[in-house]
Amino acid sequence: MLKSKIFVKKTRAGGVMKIVREHYLRDDIWCGSEVCAECKQESAELQRDACIESNLCTYPHYVIPDTNVVLHQIDVLEDPVIRNVIILQTVLQEVRHRSAPVYKRLKDIIHEKEKHFYTFTNEHHRETFIEREPGESANDRNDRAIRVAAKWYCQHLKTSESDADGLKVVLLTNDQGNKQKAEESGLLVYRCEEYIKSLIGNPELVDRLALSNDDKNEITSSKLLFPEHLPLSKIQAGIKSGSFLQGTFRASRDNYLEATVFIQGDGEESTEILLQGLQNLNRAVYQDVVAVQLLPRDQWVAPSSVVLQDEGAAKDDNEEEEDEEEKALRISAAEAARKPTGKVVGIIKRNWRPFCGMLNASHIKESTRHLFTPADRRIPRIRIETRQASTLAGQRIMVAIDGWPKHSRYPNGHFVRSLGSAGEKDTEQEVLLLEHDVPHQAFSQAVLSFLPEMPWAITPEEMARREDLRSLTVCSVDPPGCTDIDDALHCRELDNGNVEVGVHIADVTHFLRPGNALDKEAANRGTTVYLCGKRIDMVPELLSSNLCSLRSNVERLAFSCIWEMNHKAEILKTRFTKSVINSKASLTYAEAQMRIDDTTMKDDTTNSLRALNKLAKILKRYRIEKGALTLSSLEVRFHMDSETHDPIDLQTKELMETNSMVEEFMLLANISVAQKIYDEFPDCAMLRKHPAPPLSNYDILLKAAKSKDVEIHTDSAKALADSLDMARVEGFPYFNTLLRILATRCMMQAVYFCSGMDTDFHHYGLASPIYTHFTSPIRRYADIIVHRLLAVAIGADKTYPDLMDKQKQSALSNNLNYRHKMSQYAQRASVAFHTQLFFKSRGILNEEGFVLFVRKNAIIVLIPKFGLEGTVFFDTKDKAAPHLVFDEDGPTLKVEQHTFSIFDRVKVTISLDASNIQHQKIRMSLIEPVIAGVSVPAPEVEPLAKKPKLDR
Amino acid sequence: MAADMRLPTIQKPLSLSVSDFDRKDLVVPGDVITSDTGFMRGHGTYVDEDKLTASVAGEVQRVDKLICVRPLKTRFNGEVGDVVVGRITEVQQKRWKVETNSRLDSVLLLSSVNLPGGELRRRSAEDELTMREYLQEGDLISAEVQSVFTDGALSLHTRSLKYGKLGQGVLVQLSPSLIKRQKTHFHNLPCGASIILGNNGFVWLYPTPEQQDEEAGGFYTSLEPVGLSDREVISRLRNCLLALAAHKVLLFDTSVLYCYESSVHHQVKDILKPEVMEEIVMLTQQKLLDQEG
Amino acid sequence: MGNVVQRQTRGALRFEVCGNMAGLELLSDQGYRLDGRKASELRKVQARMGVFAQADGSAYLEQGNTKALAVVYGPHEVRGLRSRIRHDRAVINCQYSMATFSTAERKRRPHGDRKSTEMSLHLKQTFEAAVMTQLYPRSQIDIYVKILQSDGGNYSVCVNAATLAVIDAGIPMRDYVCACTVGFVDETPLTDLCHAEESGGVSSLALALLPRGGQIALLQMDARLHQDHLESLIEAAMTACKGVSKVLDEVVRQHLQEVSVLSGE
Repeated sequence: MLKSKIFVKKTRAGGVMKIVREHYLRDDIWCGSEVCAECKQESAELQRDACIESNLCTYPHYVIPDTNVVLHQIDVLEDPVIRNVIILQTVLQEVRHRSAPVYKRLKDIIHEKEKHFYTFTNEHHRETFIEREPGESANDRNDRAIRVAAKWYCQHLKTSESDADGLKVVLLTNDQGNKQKAEESGLLVYRCEEYIKSLIGNPELVDRLALSNDDKNEITSSKLLFPEHLPLSKIQAGIKSGSFLQGTFRASRDNYLEATVFIQGDGEESTEILLQGLQNLNRAVYQDVVAVQLLPRDQWVAPSSVVLQDEGAAKDDNEEEEDEEEKALRISAAEAARKPTGKVVGIIKRNWRPFCGMLNASHIKESTRHLFTPADRRIPRIRIETRQASTLAGQRIMVAIDGWPKHSRYPNGHFVRSLGSAGEKDTEQEVLLLEHDVPHQAFSQAVLSFLPEMPWAITPEEMARREDLRSLTVCSVDPPGCTDIDDALHCRELDNGNVEVGVHIADVTHFLRPGNALDKEAANRGTTVYLCGKRIDMVPELLSSNLCSLRSNVERLAFSCIWEMNHKAEILKTRFTKSVINSKASLTYAEAQMRIDDTTMKDDTTNSLRALNKLAKILKRYRIEKGALTLSSLEVRFHMDSETHDPIDLQTKELMETNSMVEEFMLLANISVAQKIYDEFPDCAMLRKHPAPPLSNYDILLKAAKSKDVEIHTDSAKALADSLDMARVEGFPYFNTLLRILATRCMMQAVYFCSGMDTDFHHYGLASPIYTHFTSPIRRYADIIVHRLLAVAIGADKTYPDLMDKQKQSALSNNLNYRHKMSQYAQRASVAFHTQLFFKSRGILNEEGFVLFVRKNAIIVLIPKFGLEGTVFFDTKDKAAPHLVFDEDGPTLKVEQHTFSIFDRVKVTISLDASNIQHQKIRMSLIEPVIAGVSVPAPEVEPLAKKPKLDR
Repeated sequence: MAADMRLPTIQKPLSLSVSDFDRKDLVVPGDVITSDTGFMRGHGTYVDEDKLTASVAGEVQRVDKLICVRPLKTRFNGEVGDVVVGRITEVQQKRWKVETNSRLDSVLLLSSVNLPGGELRRRSAEDELTMREYLQEGDLISAEVQSVFTDGALSLHTRSLKYGKLGQGVLVQLSPSLIKRQKTHFHNLPCGASIILGNNGFVWLYPTPEQQDEEAGGFYTSLEPVGLSDREVISRLRNCLLALAAHKVLLFDTSVLYCYESSVHHQVKDILKPEVMEEIVMLTQQKLLDQEG
Repeated sequence: MGNVVQRQTRGALRFEVCGNMAGLELLSDQGYRLDGRKASELRKVQARMGVFAQADGSAYLEQGNTKALAVVYGPHEVRGLRSRIRHDRAVINCQYSMATFSTAERKRRPHGDRKSTEMSLHLKQTFEAAVMTQLYPRSQIDIYVKILQSDGGNYSVCVNAATLAVIDAGIPMRDYVCACTVGFVDETPLTDLCHAEESGGVSSLALALLPRGGQIALLQMDARLHQDHLESLIEAAMTACKGVSKVLDEVVRQHLQEVSVLSGE
């Protein structure tokens, strides 16, 4: 290994600092081409016959893109057709500096063997390194470095083989100046568009080209629609001086003209700034990091309660209409309700990703420019250019944003790929998973290679290491159809009169060894996602449904938490052990309930279930006394047709005593484990906390309760729990449930965290000082970590580096929180989609519901029977709006003569509005109370063949 | 006043012939000299797992069964009879401590000096109290090694009239390995100055005394001003010594004298310029070779 | 993990991600470090012995842009506190200091601040393990090291420079002492960290080795590292130290030859 003795000093001035760095130049950096005989590379990435059909370059060639081409045309580079590309280190570093997502994608491409991308470390190559000349800007220097490297390749490949298959390198750049200079020095150079368009075999690639600057000018009128963004330097100065604030842009889901910017303050402090109107939003897109400037106080506004969607035609000139909408927004807001309002002055970091959605085909047939409507309402519509409009119409497609010039109403983007026809279940599911960033590809071979070989059996050595609990009467209780059983219970009388209770959790970590591909994949997925009729596993099925699943009458590895309790359910002793169990029965909640209730059954399993149930009730009482909350949210289950997988029935989930029995013991196990791992690893235990919500969160709950003359105390969890229990209204049995639903929405998200990074461990909802997740390792990765920690704590396993690294733990818990949140959203979206399918098959229904929220121009109605929430609009576009008076204090909405307030009982008709295929909506219209011009007559409902059962 | 200033330059190594490389007798710490257990371990070696290993960088010297490694540079290892030049660092009970460039300060016992009044004078308690009057901290002396203590410290004596306190002159500190052992280390050079070449690397240059004052007892020094010509001779000698030392030429009366003679064409201050130094030393070496041959 | 970090872009942790973006990539996928070295390559080492005439031993050593000057006095009589005298061996006295102009920011560095005291102590421990102090009872050996320019791995450079100075002084040592810092990035040990790498939040370890026997004279590490990695890290550090020793060996032999030729034998 020869180390070059030449080194060059690099200086970087900043203040009076002078940083001198060494820069070694080497002569052992190879060109990476198969053709080359000179370089002593071990494996050549670049192929000998680098052929791609192009009418510009008819010879085999390698492509060298410059930085801007990579940044903007990464979608094209990702296409399997593009191969044999040389990525220069200069380019790679610039990309890394300018865009993390693109950098990540570029690295993925480089790692992919079939793509034949080669990274040439030109900055350290003796012959391609150049020094910045006086007066030369950093960018110019980099451009020159790229040209020098390209030139080197030219000559290197020429000399390396005299018979030359005519192998050449082609430089791609969109920069006119760079191109010219390159041509002068005798390089083959093309603009990216030119090159892509010349690829004869693959015309579809053209669609994936991002629009470059020159194209934009043609499209849009020269009229400036938006104020200019400030340059980064000014923004930074502004943020420093305090005149600007930095925050994350969050578009409103309901109103496309409104958004908030979330400003993270020091520690707990964080504020939100309201933005209203297109001008003030100033081209920011959901999740961008932006700089905002506060408006003077007299221009502050209140968030509008109007639900407004960008329904504008696919034209640009609907501005007047918008102006009106904007004006409508600004109308009177009570002084008190006004919030800090600001405007976006610049973008600090874009956070664009490819978006799923549909094409709004242009009215002009031959037009190649179309508007694209993303599925996520918070994302603005995107203008794209495609020749395949007719085929893409009606399909779900992915589109990436390229830029948003200041004279364009919409951002410009380009087509990435098609997902399938809209409305089809598979396509919709794909969209749903993509939109929620759920990794759902099949497990790769690399991952599967870490699975144990079948047939699998417990080895004698393993048996010797573990406690043999096979003789115990262990059983599991789960929802029907559950195949990933991760917990089982047992209970037996001890000779000293106490009882022994054991919670046995599937020992997934036995199979999931730290750091291998299987583990990494699971850590990335974070959680199993349950959609209606589909489960996206965190670990491959062999583990989730077989080897780890604690099925009855097979020997399974378990991690057991065993307590000795007295009959008052006080814990006398706790121990944890790795064990082998043999479950005697896998029951459903209903089956278990039946056994307990059936006094004639006297078998061991039933007896232990009864004992468990008894203890669980005591535990629950303790917990509630301590102030644990019982909240409510309606969850529905679909009964699926076994063949078509269409929903045929819909049912709210029933809760039985046995549900709560299993839950109690799981909570107990989680708390015991949390304490144990925290004692052992105060710095790196993975715990779960649930912060107490700020009091302002309860406003809506208090107002709602007050309207029914019910007092709710929110000073502590205990007070809240008690007052919720007390809250009853005569003749309105459902009131309490509704109140609990409202209370649930006031809560904060529970999150995983690393104990070394935080001080507040309290779990508000469970009223426990410490909590973690231990009981579902098959479907949650957090439990895996907790298992590993506990195993180390009891000496059953050894640690590994990442487990003890609190930074890495913290990063992991952030991912888990993110995945968990996203999986919940995906789940909800899936339910919503199936609800739509259900109503599609049902036609029109009339149902009774309750008003859950009151908005300025609508009420939100909850149908308990389906757990369905819908909005009843009072101002529809085609009809003259009725007279609406909104009172914020109630809040109440007076429509003509009738006043709606929270908890009002209404009757609505439900139907599916399929007019917009992308956003199929459940439409609700008012039947009762009858308001002239607003309510609709009850439509005839066909008698249903099978009536959905309702228990509440 | 114009000062001559230069930037550092890399010295061209003096003609290193190929044969000089790969010299087997040069070792560095940790080098195994021999694994033959028949040899005896001398200075600069240690035994590690039955292997005789060098602990300093230098030349291997073999005397019968004894193997030593002589380092290039080292502190003075005194032997009985060595002439040393040293500086008083401390006055203690009945003894002076003398810094002689050895690993520990040497000792000069009150009983090992000739006090004024002749050799047969009895030492009284009063002498102990007035030791500082004879020699105090900072005084330079010449002496001879009387004996070596077990810890390596030297015991000195000045019981000869040629030893004793040094008066006006110039001290040059050099590496002890550069001093050639000779019958006498006191020389009155014909160029007009005298030199004491201490075996410990300390060299004393002084004007040749007019008459040998037998009665001085070595404790009274003349404070008469030294003439300019004497001073110049002494300065030139000093620079010559440094030049010879820089080129690792062994020091003895002839080499110093030849060097002095070679330097007379140059100004005293120019002698230390590398190129002049090189030239002078080359001339000196030439003369030495001629004399030998 | 890269994937995981990526995901947070959308969460509250955007600051961390931004910070990460500005941060440096310490080891590229192609296996090159910031300055173009590979993971196990040392910086360029250059050294000279005998740079001062008045000291018993001296050496100047550059390891990349870290430059140190070491001076050795002794063995000599113990000066100052007589209580420090050991009757069975020599005491070693080390002093480490940094020049005001040694870092990017010019800074007055008073003697005896915590950092340099600690460093001095480490140097002392290192050399007590290597120097045959038992040969010189009741005496003292002074080792003074000054960093003239600092670019990472100060301790190691000091040790390497001081080794040369001790050899130059002709003080017996069991073996060379060679030191090297090693950091841990992306599951790969990086040899001989430069300042940019050291400040990049890498957990690093400094090791001083007697290369021939493989004895460790000093191992210092104040970052967190999992024990599983420790072995590979030490292994890498030892390899690196052996690499350093080869360079030092060359320097010493060269010096030896030059001097012995001069002394005309």
